[in-house]
Amino acid sequence: MENKKKKRMILFRILTVLALIAIAGVMFIIGRGHTVYFDSKAVTYEGTTVEAPYKIEVYVKGERVAKLYEGERGMAGWMGQNFNMELEITAEKGGDSVRQAVSMTLPYNMDGIILNIPALLKGLPEQAYLSEFIPAAVEEEATEEVITDEFGITDEPGGGAEEPAP
Amino acid sequence: MNKNKVSTKPSRSIGELLRDNSVPLMFILICAVCIPLSGFSPSYLLDEIITRMGRNVFLILSLLIPIMAGMGLNFGMTLGAMAGEIGLILASDWQIVGIPGMVLAMIISIPISMFLGFVCGTILNMAKGREMVTSYIISYFINGIYQLVVLYLMGSIIPIIHNSIKLPRGYGIRNTVSLLEMRQKLDNLIPLTIGGVKIPVATFIVIGLLCVFIIWFSKTKLGQDMRAVGQDMQVAKDAGINVEKTRIISIIISTVLAGFGMVIYLQNMGNLATYSAHSQIGMFCIAALLVGGASVDKASIGNVFLGVILFHLMFIVAPTAGAKITGDSMIGEYFRVFVSYAVITVALVMYETKKRKAKSRAGEQLAADQAAEEELSEEQ
Repeated sequence: MENKKKKRMILFRILTVLALIAIAGVMFIIGRGHTVYFDSKAVTYEGTTVEAPYKIEVYVKGERVAKLYEGERGMAGWMGQNFNMELEITAEKGGDSVRQAVSMTLPYNMDGIILNIPALLKGLPEQAYLSEFIPAAVEEEATEEVITDEFGITDEPGGGAEEPAP
Repeated sequence: MNKNKVSTKPSRSIGELLRDNSVPLMFILICAVCIPLSGFSPSYLLDEIITRMGRNVFLILSLLIPIMAGMGLNFGMTLGAMAGEIGLILASDWQIVGIPGMVLAMIISIPISMFLGFVCGTILNMAKGREMVTSYIISYFINGIYQLVVLYLMGSIIPIIHNSIKLPRGYGIRNTVSLLEMRQKLDNLIPLTIGGVKIPVATFIVIGLLCVFIIWFSKTKLGQDMRAVGQDMQVAKDAGINVEKTRIISIIISTVLAGFGMVIYLQNMGNLATYSAHSQIGMFCIAALLVGGASVDKASIGNVFLGVILFHLMFIVAPTAGAKITGDSMIGEYFRVFVSYAVITVALVMYETKKRKAKSRAGEQLAADQAAEEELSEEQ
């Protein structure tokens, strides 16, 4: 009886650990954050040149995140791999705009993703419209602003405003 | 004689009631004076209080279970806070954002909190009767290890990919980790605004679930064991309860809950002060609980809510009121920090005085009983 109870307890613990690992795994998939950059630039791919339209407005989750004229870049944050946006494209100045929904799968391993909208709209292959955004190395350290409430009051070692010396 | 007893009882009970609730009453008085002086509108104060309740209540609730087990105020909750911070640093580096990032950070914090809680509980078992000061010192000791891990091991042994988190030298974590992608995601999950006051519904649901858990837990066998251990360890031991194990479990639960609480707290702030966010958290949570009328050996969910309201109300209004009275806002700033420490001191002194009084009263009673017995035997 005692042995059975012990076995059940061990089983319960193992199941709890497995459930937590499974939840963590799901969080990894559904919670992956990306910064998506939208470029409205002319692109040349295998000899084909695609011109940028006069104006592109990008809507993500119903909210306008970018209004791009030729050569401009916008950005939006996104969680997960299935990216959806709506584009409002005005081909020429004074012309009518066309609204188009775009869905795509974002690569998991990229934090920042650059989408070339004209190439995407033209239906060119992925390598033509999608590339990784690699932030430029910053030499100077920007001043870090720490937002705290009263709990942040401290004279703790390492808690000062300065970075620890390298 | 009997008549005399009846007439003195009500006045004594009022006196005791006032004495028992002197800390909350003192804070009510401070707030009553400071609120009009500060000039803040009721809606502003309500908004601030609700935000701070969502931010802090979970953390403070984590203190209840060790009190139930007679281990006093768990200054070791800082250990759980550190575990929560490590979870958030890793989740941020892996770019897991929003609610999933929070959940992942909580899951990462669980084994760390459990281990630290086990270590803390084991040490506290070796220092029975001196749990509070021991847990306070343990928090400093573990803080040193935390700093070693975060400052030297992260980036060199523990992989950290992103330069936005890493120090420029290539290892160690920056002073501030941005949690912008997690900021108030839980608070805003179910948006509700009443009369300009934003209510973090989802956070309150989580807090409500924890309250239900605590109530349920106190009725389980383990919860009853904890109560028994809290009342008298020797009696509990004689009743067949594994006192040491029960005490360790209470600290582990508290540490794990503190880890979760820290994640909730920091998602509200939107950034993580890597080396200092946890340092004062135990002190302020304990102060808030004591302000709510709790004591070292007795605390309830009601004390938590009342404490957060009164303590944070004082925190909000004190600087402005101080500036109005003295012309210097720093006076109010110092005042509220001073009050935090003072309230803990007062509560500890009151607890000790009460304990001594109870002891001497019991001694007097025993002496009286013995005298009566002797008198009776002499008469016979």
